[in-house]
Amino acid sequence: MLKKFIILICISLGLGFFTKSIGLSSHQALAISIFSVSILGTLFFWDFRLGFTFIGISILLITRTIDLENMIKSASVEVILFLVGMMVIVGLLKSSGFFAWIVSLILRVRNFTANKFFLLICVISSLMACAIDEVTSIIFIVAAILEICDYFEVDPVPFLIVAVLSTNIGSSGTALGNPIGILIAAKSGLTFEDFLVRAFPLMLLSLGLTIFIVRFWYRNELSELDRKIKELGQNEILVRLISVPPERELKISLGIFGATLFFISLHHRLELLWGLEANTILLTMPLISSGCLMIWKWQRARDYIEKDVEWWTLLFFMLLFAQAGTLKYTGATDVLARNLAGLAGNSLSVLIGMVLWISTIGSSILDNVVLVAAFIPVIQSFQSLNLNLHPLWWALLFGGCFGGNITLVGSTANIVALGILEKEKKVRITFFRWFWVGLTVGLSTTLLVWLALLFLPIYH
Amino acid sequence: MKVKEIMTKNVTSISADANAREALDLLEKKQISGLPVVDSGDKLVGMFTEKDILSYILPSYIDKVGKFIYEENPKSTRRKFSELSKMKVSQLMRKEVVTIGEDTTLCEVARVMLTQKARRLPVLDKTGRMTGIVARCDVLKAMFEEAKAAANAQPL
Repeated sequence: MLKKFIILICISLGLGFFTKSIGLSSHQALAISIFSVSILGTLFFWDFRLGFTFIGISILLITRTIDLENMIKSASVEVILFLVGMMVIVGLLKSSGFFAWIVSLILRVRNFTANKFFLLICVISSLMACAIDEVTSIIFIVAAILEICDYFEVDPVPFLIVAVLSTNIGSSGTALGNPIGILIAAKSGLTFEDFLVRAFPLMLLSLGLTIFIVRFWYRNELSELDRKIKELGQNEILVRLISVPPERELKISLGIFGATLFFISLHHRLELLWGLEANTILLTMPLISSGCLMIWKWQRARDYIEKDVEWWTLLFFMLLFAQAGTLKYTGATDVLARNLAGLAGNSLSVLIGMVLWISTIGSSILDNVVLVAAFIPVIQSFQSLNLNLHPLWWALLFGGCFGGNITLVGSTANIVALGILEKEKKVRITFFRWFWVGLTVGLSTTLLVWLALLFLPIYH
Repeated sequence: MKVKEIMTKNVTSISADANAREALDLLEKKQISGLPVVDSGDKLVGMFTEKDILSYILPSYIDKVGKFIYEENPKSTRRKFSELSKMKVSQLMRKEVVTIGEDTTLCEVARVMLTQKARRLPVLDKTGRMTGIVARCDVLKAMFEEAKAAANAQPL
């Protein structure tokens, strides 16, 4: 612990002095130094990271590196409120039995075969990650996988890895799948429709490629499951294992969720129609829906806010965004953007590759929200260099989501799934058991995205 | 009245290295719902309760998946029951245990039980050695007796 603390202080101080010595101002160097503490905090001191950001932002304010008004502006309260609204809606879906209903659907598949199960978990994992969020989605997919693998007495690890890989890929399909999606949507001016037209098809292509790779990778495990199905018979007990009370509440919850998705997907058109500021409907729709459901379920309203909203994570995000905003406010990201553009010879194609691969490799080690929060002001600074930003935003989105597949700590979905596996089956996956398949999928899907961003005009 | 006056003194306890299956049998034999886990010097190191066994037997994700009804017992419950005989008490016990001192008053014990949602509390002496255990029903009974005695002594 002490050793890690010393490393953290040395790196952040070293980075501050280094950036100062190469000509950055004191405020720019301090902003970089403090942001590096947040990055290292997520790497080495997960439980301390909120404490670090509290102190970090206070130092930035006291040293006048940023003023209060700009700090609040950079904290992206609109994104935080959007996430709060979505978490409340997910809380309602959870308590109404929606997720249990999805699990029961998977358990009740007719004419159960290994291939069918395999395809089902890939497709459901990715689509659910698109529509809800990757962390919630992976919990019930893992629940279904563990029940099925337990029943057929096969190793759940390959199926669990496949589900997580599909979840991370699926989370890039819409602005709802991953916090970085809504963050990019809010900062880039890209609409939900842009995500549906540009990100979703590319996500599906990447999913297809992933299915092809993992189907080959785990061919022996699939044959083993098929053999067990023949030996133990079909999934009769699984069909009867759980039931979801057919309550009115589930139908109403689904209605509220469906309506929210519908209005979110039309947000740009409605904003144009009603002359509203960009993203007003996108960001307020979850608030309207969660507001209505808190009036409907007023007795549980406090529970939704206190138990279903992850304040610990959201407060960290808010202060992290404020720290990233300080990088922009002090002009540190302009310097970085100029240097990056200089390194790329002011070529957009080279910059696309740089943003895509840096974010892919970076998010395989770091929390992708930290990485994307730091990258957003850099990409915004490219505007002053008269560069087309659209392909760079897509590169950041796909890199941030797909990089999570490379290592077993690459994304929150990986950590949640492996945590359940360890608790339930006492199995701890080794780094390399994940790494080789994760790296193959991560590199091939990122390569696919790279080619699409370079050659398809729709992304420019 | 102090808790040391009403606590059960001869407490059945178990060691952290004991077999979990044997501990479960002991719970059944003694008709109790929990056992304090102590080291060789009688220092409390945890609590092994029926609740801990149940939460191990059922899948850990049930509270996250939401509302549903089990129509059958999942295969994993059988497997987990058979795994109990290979596990140690230390793997299942709760390590963070709320405790009280011997001189704690009954009202304070009741307050701790209510706020910490505890059904029973181990009682420790000043050196940290477990000297007894007090259950919710013992506290309630003693408080009732105390109130009755006070009412008899000072009739309204």
